[in-house]
Parts: sequence; C-alpha cells; structure tokens
Amino acid sequence: MLIRPEAVSAGAARLIGRMSPLVLFIALWYGACSSGLVNSEFLPTPTKVAAALADLVSGGEIARNLFVTLFRAAVGLALGSICGIWIGLMMARSERFKAYVTPIVGGTYSLPKSALIPLFALWFGIGNVTAIAAVFLACLLPMIVNTYHGVVTTPKVLVWSAQALGTTDRELPSQVLLRSAMPDIFTGLRIALGFSFVLAISTEMIASTSGIGKLIFLYGENGTYDYMFAAIACIVAVAFVADRVTLLGMHRLLRWHESAAADYERRRL
Amino acid sequence: MPQKSVLIPWRPVTSVVLLLLVWELAARAKLTPPLFLPPFSVVADQLCRSIADGSLTNDLALSLARAFGGLLVGTATGVACGLVMSRSRFAEWLIDPFVALGFPAPKIAFLPIFILWFGIGSSSKILLVAFACIFPVVIGTYNAARSVGRLFVWSALSLGSNRRSIFFHVILPACYPRIFTTFRIAVPVALITTFTAEMVAGGGGMGATLIYSQRFFESPTVFAYIVVMMCVGLVLDSALLSFQRRFLGWAEN
Repeated sequence: MLIRPEAVSAGAARLIGRMSPLVLFIALWYGACSSGLVNSEFLPTPTKVAAALADLVSGGEIARNLFVTLFRAAVGLALGSICGIWIGLMMARSERFKAYVTPIVGGTYSLPKSALIPLFALWFGIGNVTAIAAVFLACLLPMIVNTYHGVVTTPKVLVWSAQALGTTDRELPSQVLLRSAMPDIFTGLRIALGFSFVLAISTEMIASTSGIGKLIFLYGENGTYDYMFAAIACIVAVAFVADRVTLLGMHRLLRWHESAAADYERRRL
Repeated sequence: MPQKSVLIPWRPVTSVVLLLLVWELAARAKLTPPLFLPPFSVVADQLCRSIADGSLTNDLALSLARAFGGLLVGTATGVACGLVMSRSRFAEWLIDPFVALGFPAPKIAFLPIFILWFGIGSSSKILLVAFACIFPVVIGTYNAARSVGRLFVWSALSLGSNRRSIFFHVILPACYPRIFTTFRIAVPVALITTFTAEMVAGGGGMGATLIYSQRFFESPTVFAYIVVMMCVGLVLDSALLSFQRRFLGWAEN
C-alpha cells in the first residue's frame, strides 16, 4: 500500500487538532498551579511531573514494574481468552453443556471479580499467581459470553454450505463457527483487555510487592506526589496504546467483515 | 408451554447443587486446610451470624450507598456530556480526547489521587466510582444521540417543532433505551470500583471488612462476603433487566 506524504501531513494535522484540548488542559493545570490557585502540595506542577516521569523512565523504575504488570495482565488475558473461547464454543454447540454451565457462568459474571483477590491471596500467597488468577477470571467471562453470542448467531447458511462441501463436525468450529464469530470474539477481547489492566493493578495495590499498581500506591503513601502522577500518566498511556493496538489488529484481521470497517472509522484516533 | 414453565429446570439446579456438595465434601474430607476452604455449612452459618449481628447489613448499606452515589453522579454527568457532545461540535472537540484517553484507562490507578484530594472517607470513593462510570456513559449517550433517526427529527420539524422541543421531545426520549443499556453496563463497574477502593483504602464497607477478615484469616467471613457480593450483582442485574423489559420494551430491536 502506497502512503502519500500529503495524506500523512493531513493525518498529522488532524491528530494535532484533535489532541489540542489536552494541551489546553495542561496549560490550565500549569496556570492554576503557578498562580497559587491550588495548593501545590495537592497538585504538583506539570513540569515537576514531567521531570519525575523522565527520572522514572531513565532510571528503569517504570520499565521494571511495568514489565511485571504487563506480564501478569498478558498471561491472565491469554489463558482467560483461550478457556473463554473454548467454553463459549462448547456452550453454543451443546445444549446440555450450556444448561449445566449457565448458572455458574451467570453467578461468576455478576460477581465483582476484585472480591476474589483476598481469597486468591489466601490460596496462592502474594505474587504472580494471585494476580494472574484474578486477571484470568476477569477475562474469562466476557470471552465466554461474546464467543457464545458470536457462535450462536452464525448464519445457518454458512454452516449448511460448509457441510454440503464436506466439512465434518470436527472441522466446523475452526473452519466456520469461530471465523464467523470473530467480530464478537474481538469485542470480548477488547473488554477483557480493559479488565486485565484493572485487575492486575488492583491486585498489586492489595496484595503484591511489585508492579506498577504497587509503585503508584507506594508513591502515594510516601507523599512523593509528582512521581505518583507520573506513574499514573504512564499506565494511562500504556492502556491507551494497548487498546488502540487491539483496535488496529481487529481492523486488520476483520478487513473482510463490514462491521469492523465502520467501527474503526467511527472510533478512529 | 405453561406446563413446562412449572417444571424445575433440573440441569442448572444439578450443577449448582453438585458444586456446593463437592465444596462441602472436599472441605469435610480435609482435602484442603479449613483455612483455605471452610465447608459450605460453616460459611452459611457465618453468613447468618453476620446478618444477625448487623455487621453485614451495615457494610452492605454503606457500600451500596457509595456505589449508587457515584453511579448517580457519574451517569448524570456522563449523559449531560454525551448529549452536549452530540449537539455541539465545539464540545465534541473539547471533550473527545479526554474520553478517548480515559475510556481504556484503568480507573482504579487514580485512587491515590482521589484519596489525596478527598480524603479516605466516602467522598473519595463516590467520586472515583463516578469517574469510572462516566466514560462508558458518555460514549453510549453520544452514540445514541447521534443515531436518532433523521425521519423522527424531520417529522417533528415539519410539524412545527423548534430546536428546543425537538431536543426534549424527540432526541432525548429516543435515547432513553440506549442510555439505560449503558447504565446497566455502569452498575457492575460501580460495584467493582467501590469494593476495590474499599479494599485498598479501607474506611468501612464490604471491601474493607473482606480484606480485614482475610488478614486475620477468618475464612468463613471471607467466603460469606464473597457470596453476598455475588448475590448483590445478580439481583441488581436481573432487576435492571426486568425494568428494561417492562418499561423500555418498545425499543426492542
């Protein structure tokens, strides 16, 4: 695909236009701080936060803790997605399995997953396993529900055509059902991605000795608020980028599907 | 059909009963230490005692008040922002980057800021819940208001409505069902945020008691509180669902 320079500059101009309220916000923040309108004890100036951010990034503090958090979130998300897709598919294919599993899925779905953090801390101690288990469970439910919905709404015509062309029952999920459910699975994945960050950070705040959630909490308790704001800014940026990358991947993989193009167009950066 | 609805759906009941039975037997057979998994009967007993001495009811009332306070503030602000964004290009330009950045952000990470600004009492929790609920509500309301059928607006215009009455009598009512859907999404978000904030910051409520019980290794209380949290989520969601069916059934698509 050819990228024209004028298209790039137009895109950049649009991006700057869209992001200018953020600059305005930072200017207001700076003005409020330097004019003494707000107590700088409670709100460090943007320059101080930027300096703290630079220090955190160059000192490797952020990278180390971010890696721990992202590792927990990613492992939990991966396990949760795989199991969730499998359970969702099974529920859609077997009426009996669905009847047995539905009350358990329904009960766990409405349970605030962070409630299980103390329990997991009791079972698995403080560390990776607790965080991964919490993330896993939080990611599992949206994946089950969305995969189920996607598989159940597969057009019958697609299934019949595949069967007429000789697709066996074993091949049906990988050849037809899961492919047709792809948009729903990605919707679930995007929700699960958000949950994975929330749960990883919550677990770190409650029961952990490392990770970005712990880092933020420690800075808050020590009263080094410029560093606390910098660390929060970091995690917001990372979550934003992860969400956009998922959206982009969704658009790429679902190029063939009309809903993805419209969706991408609407929420474009 | 009427005959079938009287019948007990035995499969779902079987799996729940089986789960409880396995739990009870595994705990009774000492497969795990009772600290890790107290028998279900002990948990049920603890649940009754917590209800009887009023501690559970107090915690639940406090948590629900925080969750719904935040939910109310967040939904009201979010609906207002979403509607204004859908009507004014300037407001859209101004608010959009904050929504784009705030929506995927893990809101619980902002808890230390809210504690710093609003203390460790209820107000910081209520505002954090509002902050967590506002983003999905803004996006939902904005999309709902943007997708109101032009035919409705044109019809109202040709019948002589002005902009003001179109907004209040056409656009706003047309948005109600989707605003309610986003409200249904925001309710579990509010509950999760409240419980987590209480666990991290203390200050009473379900989350705080849960984490204290865990620290003092009172496992039956931990399990009892988790069961109650699960029931609260279930009851709220089914209540909202039946409200939606009852009053917003006309928008069924």
